[in-house]
Amino acid sequence: MRTERRNVGRTVGLIAVATVLLSVIPSFRLSAQHFNVGPQIAFGDYREVSSDLHYRGTGLGVKATLMWKKLSADIALSKVKYKPTSDTTRVDFDASEVDVRLRYYVTGPVSAELGFLHRTMDPEFEAQSVGAVTVGARMAYVLGPGVRMSLNGGLLFGSKFSGGGTTSALGALQLGLGLTVDALHGRVLVTGDYDFQRFSRTTDDGSGALPAPIQQSLGRVGFAIAF
Amino acid sequence: MRRSTWLLALPLLCAFPSALTAQTIQNATLRRAQQAFDNLDYRQALSIGQASLRERLTGFERARAYELLGFTYSGLDSILKAVDAFKQVVLIEPERDLDPNRTSPKALSAFQVALTQILVVRQLRVDSVNFIGGQGAVGIRYTVTQPSRVVMRVTGGAMGSMRIDSTVANGQVNIRWPARLPSGDPVPAGNYNVVVEATVGQNSFSASQPIRITHGAVDTLPHLTSLPGYTYLPETEVPPKSWRPMGLALVYSGIALAGTSALSHGNLGSASMREGGMIGGGIVLAGFVMTLKKPAPQPARGNILYNSLLREQIARRNTEIAQENTRRRQQVALSVVPLPRVGR
Repeated sequence: MRTERRNVGRTVGLIAVATVLLSVIPSFRLSAQHFNVGPQIAFGDYREVSSDLHYRGTGLGVKATLMWKKLSADIALSKVKYKPTSDTTRVDFDASEVDVRLRYYVTGPVSAELGFLHRTMDPEFEAQSVGAVTVGARMAYVLGPGVRMSLNGGLLFGSKFSGGGTTSALGALQLGLGLTVDALHGRVLVTGDYDFQRFSRTTDDGSGALPAPIQQSLGRVGFAIAF
Repeated sequence: MRRSTWLLALPLLCAFPSALTAQTIQNATLRRAQQAFDNLDYRQALSIGQASLRERLTGFERARAYELLGFTYSGLDSILKAVDAFKQVVLIEPERDLDPNRTSPKALSAFQVALTQILVVRQLRVDSVNFIGGQGAVGIRYTVTQPSRVVMRVTGGAMGSMRIDSTVANGQVNIRWPARLPSGDPVPAGNYNVVVEATVGQNSFSASQPIRITHGAVDTLPHLTSLPGYTYLPETEVPPKSWRPMGLALVYSGIALAGTSALSHGNLGSASMREGGMIGGGIVLAGFVMTLKKPAPQPARGNILYNSLLREQIARRNTEIAQENTRRRQQVALSVVPLPRVGR
């Protein structure tokens, strides 16, 4: 688990460096495709097992979007430092999340999504690390010149937890909201994203299935440079 | 008899005034003959008129003398002699015509018979015309009084003599001459004579009409920038203001927040709306601003298609105009004008 945390941190660092490099070379353009990348401030709410394990925190993130013909891809990395909201005996932990989604335009405002989610916790046993495959759909609408919003939702399949446990086929869900606003003639985008995840996890220590749900609401606000 | 002579004399007098009024008759005998004719003394007019022919007369006077005899013989019902007299008139003045409204039928028929008994080419006329070389023709008309072989030539200028028509004709003949050389080139500019020569056996007669041919450039057509009656339409149009952005922002945000609340697990307490509320609020704000903002112009597909068709039509027409102008620059505008005849 320590190795995984190191890998996530390294990836975040690499993307940040790439963002800075691309930002200082404004003439760089990816032909026949659109690409934007930029930093975000993340803020979240995390709950696990019961309402007593309630955390809130803030952190940093990076989001990159690549669009090519009917295909597009979002890669969102974030690291949020969660703190307990009431129980001071509990310790803080960092949640590092990688959220990758591939999207294919279907019709009208609708696109189909496929991706994966991987969240690791540090310290390792303070909260559940989780990984899952996401399948869903996204609706996008242009509110006005340079202003786009989106609503996405889907299921999280094949969920794996560091502390064990399973979810039913429809027990893990995610819901999201997105906003991008063009600025500086489309060279800079103001971005805002909201992701809600709920895992209806159950564990069984031999005495029967026990509910141990996990729920996170994560908001991200930032900007991106368009190329 | 006296009365009938008067009745015959009145139209003769009416027909004669052109000769009488355009008086250039100097010969005293001929004048006496006219006086006798005016006094309806045909015998006297006949003898004096015949006497005048034995004197020295100008061509005009000789023609008037024969005409006087023709009218006098007609008045005396000597048609054959009247015909002979009128034949002499026509030979001296081929263009001479009698006004059918002011001439007695006897004299008129005698004149017409005289015309058929001699070979002359009369009333040669060349139209004044402008046309593009190769695309028009000059109208030429003449009357030949007997069936004969008629050859029409154009002489003068640098080309010498060029036959333009040869036919057997009688009566009025209409010819359309394209004013081109045998090579197909337009006739060079200059002064020419249109000569019509009629031949029957040993008899022949010719008439000519001078003409002037000038060359000019053919007008070219200006290129089009628009088609009359058709104007370009704006290719974008501003849609009317709508609350749709605001409404959709509320719907999207509402679905996200309601979904968060609905999907929240019961064991974990009430769901946090802080994150969704902030992003949803931002979307609603953006929707509100977009609702108030003047909508961006949208492409008007119908107008774009219309303009495209219009541009295509103008381009096609200009291509045709360019081709037409290229052709016109290689053409010559011919102007043919008949000149007054000299020596008549």
